[in-house]
Amino acid sequence: MSRTAQSLYNWIYVLPTLVLIIIIFIIPIAYNIWLSFQEKTIGGEAVFAGLKNYQRLLASSMFYKSVGNSLFYTFISVTSKALIGLGVALLLNKKFWGRGFLRGFSILPWAFPSFVVAVLFWFNYDYRGTFNTIFKMLGLQPVHWMSYENAMWSVILINIWHGWPFFFMGYLAGLQAIPTDLYEAADIDGANVYQKFIHITVPQLKQVLLTVMLLSTMWTLGEFTQIYMTTGGGPVDATLTIPMATYKIAFLTEINFPLAAAYTILVLPIYLFLIYFTLKQMGE
Amino acid sequence: MVGHSGKILNKIIIAVGVILLLLWIIIPTFWAFKTSISVPEEAWKPIPTKITLDNYLSLFNPSLEAILRGMGLRAALPDPMIVYVTNSLIVSLTASIIGVIFGSLAGYNLARFSYRGKKIVMWLVLFAYVFPVFILMVPILVMMRYLGLYNTLLGLSIVHLAYTLPYSTLIMRSYFSGIPSVLEEAALIDGCTRLEALWRVVVPVAIPGFVTAFIFSFTLSWNDLLFALILLNSSHKYTLPIATTFFLWGGEIVDPGGLAATAIFAGIVPSVLYMLVQKYVVVGLVKGAVKA
Repeated sequence: MSRTAQSLYNWIYVLPTLVLIIIIFIIPIAYNIWLSFQEKTIGGEAVFAGLKNYQRLLASSMFYKSVGNSLFYTFISVTSKALIGLGVALLLNKKFWGRGFLRGFSILPWAFPSFVVAVLFWFNYDYRGTFNTIFKMLGLQPVHWMSYENAMWSVILINIWHGWPFFFMGYLAGLQAIPTDLYEAADIDGANVYQKFIHITVPQLKQVLLTVMLLSTMWTLGEFTQIYMTTGGGPVDATLTIPMATYKIAFLTEINFPLAAAYTILVLPIYLFLIYFTLKQMGE
Repeated sequence: MVGHSGKILNKIIIAVGVILLLLWIIIPTFWAFKTSISVPEEAWKPIPTKITLDNYLSLFNPSLEAILRGMGLRAALPDPMIVYVTNSLIVSLTASIIGVIFGSLAGYNLARFSYRGKKIVMWLVLFAYVFPVFILMVPILVMMRYLGLYNTLLGLSIVHLAYTLPYSTLIMRSYFSGIPSVLEEAALIDGCTRLEALWRVVVPVAIPGFVTAFIFSFTLSWNDLLFALILLNSSHKYTLPIATTFFLWGGEIVDPGGLAATAIFAGIVPSVLYMLVQKYVVVGLVKGAVKA
């Protein structure tokens, strides 16, 4: 076979995947850009509107509020998941009876679908539910978990509970890959537990930590299901994150597709910035 | 130096850590699980006095009593839950089978061949893997309406390829990279074509990879609420995640027992599948893309 024929032949394998990725991702992104410059007319065709949608969004407090909410939600959630995941990975890297079971059991929250986790927390956050029952047992006042002040923390807790095992699994794989002679050498040199952690464990985990962190940040910034199912972005705008705001503009409050498109284009740089670092980190 | 007291301290740390870990996982799951096996009157009691499987049986064949209990709900969800479970199964199976077939072909290509433009292909697949799909909600809806696939399970399955295809490609690429290429070269020398070599020699060895890719793809599609919400609008086509959302009316849970049973059932399917491929979880998600 000639070289050109061979290289054409190679393409056949990736062709369906390439075509589907272009249809599902690339064309819609391009369409979004085009649509963001249009204007919705009642019952009619979309007409060119220039930067009108963008101006409207940049002048609305909703835009800044939703971006701010998303950043806060993601930052607190990812940091907490990273810490809990590290703690559990260090614990389950020690040798003790029942460790194997606990390693499997710890995946459970992550194995549950987002919508199931949301339902679990419907029961937990209900006024008569789990958390208030525990509070009563401890002699504390019951709490309205979904009030304006508490709702953001409540949805963050859901996200932490659901997502930490991903960090745990990443760290554990990383810990298991650290050669034990590094620790033995440090023991001979008289290093203590803390020094070993800072000078061996942390540097060896750095790569896996970074990858897991970036992936989790992407997913948390794109989390829709948990918020849609618990607060719907409310009360008022307390938990209005970027994905929820997009859905609201497109289907609930404004029902304005061009405006939703403009909104996604405005927030796209945040995601592209992260995607760039994620892809770089993932080795390509 | 680690002495006797150090060992005891270590044991205490492990014991406290294990207890905290168990509480942290069990407490948030407990209420839903408990409610799913209690009678309706005891839905909001911490400890049930009677245990029943009625809530689970009602998923498949609701008793008149269960129908009456979920009165408001039945207007939105006239069918028994099993209908929504079946829809979810149809969508997840279609999306994951197509995803795994195309994904493994692409994964094989990326693992074995080198050619101009391969970097771009790899970059596109990774891009699709991490791209937040909510950005696509409006254009995907418009496109599906245009193609006449709006409000069809097939349309939803195709859109779910957004989840299953990049993932399968990455995991199969990492799996194929781990299989020595000598295997196919021997087959090629024996006169097989590339595709024959792939089918007869590589595929049998790669079966664990296919199983992993399939299970993950299945759960990714099973978990999706966003696209189902946008693309389906008649109740007999709803998938399980949408059906679940109707149990909350104005902040109040309608039919807690039925809801709890639905949630536990919907959660057990992917959990069992995950446990089966636990070993590959991280390899697939993190390292799969790192290994060249």
